[in-house]
Amino acid sequence: MKFVIQLVVTSVVCFILQSFLPWWTMAVGAFTVAYLLGNKGLPSFAAGFIGVAILWIGMAFYIDAVTHSILTEKINRLLPINAFLATLIIGGLVGGFASLTGSLMRSK
Amino acid sequence: MKLLKVGVSLGITVFLIYFLNSSWNFGSPIPALGKFLNPFGGFWQNAEGKEQQSETLSLVGLKDEVLIQYDSLLIPHIFAKNDDDLYLAQGYITAKNRLWQMEFQTHAAAGRISELIGKAALDYDRTQRRRGMVFAAENSVKSMEADPTSKAIVDNYTRGINQYIESLSEDDLPIEYKLLNYRPEPWTNLKCGLLLKNMALTLNIGDKDLEMTNALKLFGKDISDLLWPDNEKIGDPIVDRTGNWKFDPIKLDSVPLALPDELITVKPLEKPAEGVGSNNWAVSGRKTNTGSPILCNDPHLSLSLPSIWYVIHLQAPGVNVMGASLPGSPTVISGFNDSIAWGVTNAQRDLVDWYKIQFKDKTKNEYLRDGQWKTSRKVIEKIVIKDGTPFYDTVTYTHQGPVVYDERFGGDNELKSYAFRWVAHDPSEEILTFYKLNRAKNHSGYMEALNHYASPAQNFVFASVSGDVAMRIQGKFPVRRQGEGKYVLDGTKTSNEWQAFIPNDQNVMYKNPARGFVSSANQYPADETYPYYITSTSYEAYRNRRINKLLSEMTDITPRDMMEMQLDNYNLKAAESVPTFLSLLDTTAFTSPQTKAYRILKVWEFENTINSEGASYYEAWWRELYALVWDEIKNSKVTLDYPTSYTTIKLIKEQPELSFFDIQETPAKETAREVIQQAFVKGVDAIEKWKTENGKDPRWADYKDTFVAHLLQGLPAFSYHVENGGNNSIINASSHRNGPSWRMVVSLEKTKLRAWGVYPGGQSGNPGSPFYNNLLNYWAKGKYYELQFEPEATKMKSVVASITLKPVAL
Repeated sequence: MKFVIQLVVTSVVCFILQSFLPWWTMAVGAFTVAYLLGNKGLPSFAAGFIGVAILWIGMAFYIDAVTHSILTEKINRLLPINAFLATLIIGGLVGGFASLTGSLMRSK
Repeated sequence: MKLLKVGVSLGITVFLIYFLNSSWNFGSPIPALGKFLNPFGGFWQNAEGKEQQSETLSLVGLKDEVLIQYDSLLIPHIFAKNDDDLYLAQGYITAKNRLWQMEFQTHAAAGRISELIGKAALDYDRTQRRRGMVFAAENSVKSMEADPTSKAIVDNYTRGINQYIESLSEDDLPIEYKLLNYRPEPWTNLKCGLLLKNMALTLNIGDKDLEMTNALKLFGKDISDLLWPDNEKIGDPIVDRTGNWKFDPIKLDSVPLALPDELITVKPLEKPAEGVGSNNWAVSGRKTNTGSPILCNDPHLSLSLPSIWYVIHLQAPGVNVMGASLPGSPTVISGFNDSIAWGVTNAQRDLVDWYKIQFKDKTKNEYLRDGQWKTSRKVIEKIVIKDGTPFYDTVTYTHQGPVVYDERFGGDNELKSYAFRWVAHDPSEEILTFYKLNRAKNHSGYMEALNHYASPAQNFVFASVSGDVAMRIQGKFPVRRQGEGKYVLDGTKTSNEWQAFIPNDQNVMYKNPARGFVSSANQYPADETYPYYITSTSYEAYRNRRINKLLSEMTDITPRDMMEMQLDNYNLKAAESVPTFLSLLDTTAFTSPQTKAYRILKVWEFENTINSEGASYYEAWWRELYALVWDEIKNSKVTLDYPTSYTTIKLIKEQPELSFFDIQETPAKETAREVIQQAFVKGVDAIEKWKTENGKDPRWADYKDTFVAHLLQGLPAFSYHVENGGNNSIINASSHRNGPSWRMVVSLEKTKLRAWGVYPGGQSGNPGSPFYNNLLNYWAKGKYYELQFEPEATKMKSVVASITLKPVAL
């Protein structure tokens, strides 16, 4: 349950932060949420990863839908991997490691 | 232990953020992935729908409210209450749609591409610095700012661009900035100058002085004149007023021009691409269906995205003008207003001269001028390189201009330095010219506007609602002595330099000629009684004749006829060469692909249409033939120029025994006949290879493969291959990489002027916008949009969004 809470709260907090601030502030958000909620290392990493990944991929899907994939198709040709997948991995990794750091710091 | 875990995890997180927040280059460039993929601010934010937002904005410096209406093609119609506001709004709206392109092109002009993409662009940047592009732009800005009218225009245009730049957050940046991870810098008047000089570079840098000097030394004057004549004497000149040039020309003492009697061993700069040229014509009312003149223009430039042109409608008290503008320069360049229309083609004249400079010593601090040592000027060029240390290059300037070639650039010998004199280095008043042309009411207004125009020299076609048609070749042209400008000159004698310029009223021009039309297609400018010596790298030999033939035959012309003519795919070069080539072929030992090619060519009607295979076979054959004939040029140890297609074909027909037809690599002595045979075999082989590689028949559109490339090295994701007909030397000049960059037809009817236009691209520079390439397929298919040209905002139809700009107090 705590896992789901961390995941959802991470998504919401990062959404708010990213709406106004540079992209990397979501790491600060994910870190803080993990620190406060105190999940164990691996679940915390997973919650942070999935929380940010869902946020990023959700936003990307939304933009893609309203713009009829106009740019996604082009970026897919530009990147060696699919743009959604790349977005998911990058967002997830940063969110995951930030959350892991947060929970590890708390368990100290 | 826990501390260690925290440390490692934190370290990974911080490293990830750092790594993903910076761009890298591991063999191929990688954008700042975190920033770039972030859907709240990265590339995702550049994706746009078709809907445009209406908005009200406040801009500093406006005197009054300005209304901008976007029509369904996203063409902005700007309604302002005074000139200052008009150009401020033009700057703002152009930047809103084309900012990255504008800045990138000015960076390119200034030799600053290494800053953006790294050391791969260093040679390009050095070339730009050594050509003195910034020096040229600075001179241009000086004259812009010296005149209060043009100063106000440029100041306001710059102000408008800067307010758009200032309004941009990181998330709003055009996608190319995000890809390359940099930010736009403030716009300046100098950038307007750079943009205009970039156009001068595209159009007026052509010369072959080094090559001709070598040719003269290697082959002598007779062969030189045979292979590279000043005038191929074919077709009509742009203006024929035989015996009617009623003025006293400036005469100069014809001193023998001192040519250094030596081979020039420098590695020359890259030549302008073949296929840059243009068509324009205007037919008088007595040849048209409505009784009013029709004017047409299609400038042929590199096919690139975002497009070279940005279509705009500018309206304020005293001006109501529409047409193609250059993003980065105020006013309209090729267009029409209530009363007149005009268009441009390149004048081709040789406006570049090279001088061999004699320096006192290695320091290049002093050089010899009329027996005295003069001090040179040094400019230290700092070229910033992305992910590298800056490169410094010292460029020496003499009074003639920058020393392009010396032992540090192109040359191999410190005793051999060459400076060049380029008319585009001189002060010029392009913006004032177009300001006045945009407002001209009649022929005399057009003439007055053009008096300000210096560079790049253009053939200005004109037509008016009142019924006049005219042509004027305008630019700053040096008075040349016979043969002057063809060869490298001795830079120690000022008598070798430009002594005077042709007065404006003695330039080549006429109005309402008896034939009922005026036209230009980069051909030789004037009949032989024009009293000034004219030379150029080359003049066009085919399009102009086809245009004049069609126009002479046509009557009762409609705008539709003119559009069809701009799309004419008749290959006159092929028509004049294929029958001869075929007749010289020995068909007895043909393989089956050769027989097939022969049969296709035999029935080909010389139309370079999309489906034509004859066009592909001809092109393949011609490429091989041209290379085989001029193997001496390609293999020469010193740089030489290639003769034109026209001269090549003429020599094949008239002098088949000429020594150049002998292929150097073979012991046998070939004539034109053997070369044609060998080229045919090679050409058919090339087509067979192409067929195997592509798995289809060689339709012309596929074989030619017109490619419209994004400015960033043709980034495939943002570039397009299109299917169309045409080629170089054809009215529809769409080749692989060049073509009609703007097609315009204007019918100057008294009741209501009507105009049509299209270009290969779209009004938005954003690859994530539906307006990035929405005109491209229309252009490829040869269709036109009727342009909305209303004097008042309330009469506009199909407005998709309105932007209201309101003044704010400082």
